[in-house]
Parts: sequence; structure tokens; C-alpha cells
Amino acid sequence: MPPTTERLRFSAIGTVWSITTDRPLAGDAQHAISERIETFDAVWSRFRPDSLVSRIARVPGRHAFPDEAGPLFDLYRRLGLATHGRVNPLVGHRLENLGYDAGYSLVASADPVGVPAWDAVARWDGTALTTTEPVLVDVGAAGKGYLVDLVCGVLDDFGVDEYVVDAGGDLRHRGGTPVRVGLEHPTDPSLAIGVIELENAALAASAPNRRVWGDGLHHVIDGVTGMPTRTVAATWALAPTGLEADGLATALFFAGPDELVSALPASPFEAVRMLASGSVETTPFFEPALFFATAAVRDRSLDGSSAR
Amino acid sequence: MPITRNRTVIRTTLLAAAGLSAVGVLSGCSTAASTPAQGSSDSGSTSRASSSSASSSPTSDASSGATSASDDNGASSSAAAGSGSGTYKNGTYTEQGTYSSPGGQELISVQLAIHDDAVQAVTVKTVKADPTATSYEAKFIGGISSAIVGKKIDDLHVTNVAGSSLTSQGFDDALTKIKSDAADD
Repeated sequence: MPPTTERLRFSAIGTVWSITTDRPLAGDAQHAISERIETFDAVWSRFRPDSLVSRIARVPGRHAFPDEAGPLFDLYRRLGLATHGRVNPLVGHRLENLGYDAGYSLVASADPVGVPAWDAVARWDGTALTTTEPVLVDVGAAGKGYLVDLVCGVLDDFGVDEYVVDAGGDLRHRGGTPVRVGLEHPTDPSLAIGVIELENAALAASAPNRRVWGDGLHHVIDGVTGMPTRTVAATWALAPTGLEADGLATALFFAGPDELVSALPASPFEAVRMLASGSVETTPFFEPALFFATAAVRDRSLDGSSAR
Repeated sequence: MPITRNRTVIRTTLLAAAGLSAVGVLSGCSTAASTPAQGSSDSGSTSRASSSSASSSPTSDASSGATSASDDNGASSSAAAGSGSGTYKNGTYTEQGTYSSPGGQELISVQLAIHDDAVQAVTVKTVKADPTATSYEAKFIGGISSAIVGKKIDDLHVTNVAGSSLTSQGFDDALTKIKSDAADD
């Protein structure tokens, strides 16, 4: 059993958080964590009328961002290039039009707006975003994983060096003892399709089926077609940071791992994705972790996951 | 566990029982008593929901599942470990759990039929859902399939789960309670 046994649970940004540590978190550390999340939410949440991205959606122009925005916009730019524009943070209005709005109307309008190309309407200069028309930034592709990193940073600041930060299934581990993490089956959360050991890395998952409305509508939107993706059912990515893992997990809906290397030349990563057909594509790291159908492999996987 | 960079090889293989096409929909509770589990009738000796409640009306019997919702808000609690040796009494168990949807706290009821330490059937019901959560719940419940038969509970329980669901937290809470209900000690 890992030494991380103290678990702090709370709800934030629409998901359930679990922070596991080797000793109880002091009250001021807990407070700092919730402050960090709140500060992030106040900038990036498109569900809050007072957030920065909501203001940008109303008023085009030059908008200064806090320092945290740099790595996030940079990753979006890289993933946008690698996927030929299919990963695009300007899907916000399109998502709203399709029904995924602040009020969760879940009703698609008859003629939803398209997704504007980033270069056509926005420019990021490292400190500020300049927009030429009202655009709604949605960082759903990587924002949650990035917030995991920022919360890890708070724990680091408080001298915590053995932890798992889990934001509703996107998680990052630090410490000397790896943790066993199940890869949740996309249509049946009581099943895992595999188990990995996570150690000083981040693992993110994406499966749109749990948030589906209307006629196959969900929140993973192709920035080129404006339509929800259909060929990939679920993705997982392992990377050094939550930002990278989460961004990759989204990008894997649009490109294979080999096509994404160019986006993260300095960061080794691993990936697996489950297609709508039920088949699985995986990089070598995940292969021995997956529960395959053949008896020999299954025996091994059961063996590896039994309690001891 | 260094992350190795090796992306040239991508294997395509079919998954085990978990194939998407194999999803058989258990709608609501009606299937609870009717699916496999003879196991559910041979003991039912739990203190909580006895097997008699398995027969079912949608929400009423769920609410008899006793233990109340767990607290997710800021409460600090230690992780429930369950008994590692993995022996469980045969029977049908019902528990409730909460999860946080964007619309607020939701309550779901999870029923498991256990026989020979394996899960024979699973049913998930919405005890009380607010309107915005209904669509998510419907998908969650619809996704529970017969593919789960034969999976050991301890194989499901890992330290963390990488998945997309808001719902899995509530499910996991309920599953943890069921494990402690069913553990022989």
C-alpha cells in the first residue's frame, strides 16, 4: 500500500477532486489550494459571467492575462499546429450554440456558429490576448490538467513531496512510491480496461460519452468542422505534466500519437486510445497494462492486479 | 517508471469483454433481479439492503439502501482500503453514493450481486436527479453492461482511476461501502 493515505475530497470546477497525501494537509494549505482553484476559475471559466474569458467574449480588444496563461496558450498553439487546427480554444461559442452553455440548456440552436480560426481573430503576445471580434475562449482541452499542475505547485510550496492530485480522473503523482491507477472503461465506470503504475508523472483521460446530449452531441469539438468527434471513444495520455497530458488526451481525438510528437518535442509521452469500433491503439508503455482478450495476456493482467 | 519515447509502433487490438459493441443496456432497476445472479438468492445476509429489496421499485427500494450520502465537500477522510484478502459473502448489496454534477449533488444507488467473490450483476439507479443531470445519468446507467460479469471487486479497486466521469466518484463511494458491507471479518 502506498504511504499516501490521507485523502482530501471536494468539488470544484464541476468535478470531484481528491488529493491524497502521506500526512494530513494543514488548514492553510487547504485554503491555499482552494484559493488557487478560485483564481484560475475567475480567469478561465466560461460558465461565470464575471470571468476574464466571459468579458473577452463580450468585448473584443486587448486583454492582459495572468502569468499562468503563457504555458496554456503555448500548448494550444502547438496542438493546433499538430492537428491542423482541430484543437482550437475558440470553440466556446460553438459549444454554447450546441447547448453546452452556462445554463446547461443542452439544446442545440438551429444554426450554430462556426469555430473561428485562431490566427484570423486572435493574437497572443505572451502577456495579452488581442481579439478582433467577440470570441469565447474554452480551455476545456487542457485547462483541468493545467489546474492540477498549479495545485501540485501549491503542495510543493508547502513542502508536501508525496501526493496524488486527482481532478475527476486527470491526475498527477509525486513521490517515491508509485500508485496503481485504473483506466476507466468509457461506457462502464465499474470496469477498468487496464492498470498502470503512475510515478512522478501525470495521466489524463478523456471520454466524451459521459457528457452527451442531443443527437450525439458532446464537448469534444473539432475546431475545423465544428462537430463533435465520433471515431474515438476514449483517450489516455501519460506525460510529465497535467497540462501536457490533458492537452494530449484531447488532441488524440484528432491525431495519433505519432502525429503529436511535433507538438511536444521536449516531452516524452505515452498514449492509448479506444476507437468507437471497440479496438484499441496504444504506445508500448500502455500495452502490458491493458486487459486484452487472449487468455495468456489476461492471466498476466489479473495476476498483476490482485491484492497482495 | 521512466516515460519512454517510442511512438513508431502502434498496435491495434481488440479489447476483452469490454468492447463497446457489447454493451447490453440495463435499464433502470428492472433488470436487477432478473440478470444472472442466482448468487443473490442464496444468502442476502447483509445488514443493509437484503436481497429482498432487489426485486425492486425504482426509487423506493433505493432509498432503503440505508447509508446516507457521503460528504464530498471539503471533508477529509482516509481512503477506505477494504479487505485485501478478498473474500465476500454471497448476496445482493445495495448502497448509495453521491457525485457532484454541474447541477449540484446527485444521489445514485448501486446494487451489486456477488457470488464467489465475483460481481454477477450491477444496477445503477438515480435516486434523485435534478433535470440538468438527467442526461448524464441516463448515459451512465445505460452504459452498465453484462460485460462486468466475472470481474473481481478487488481488480476494480485501485488507488485512483483515470476516467472522464463525474459519476464514477459516486459509484466508487457506493462500491466502497458495499465492499465493507460484504467483507467477511
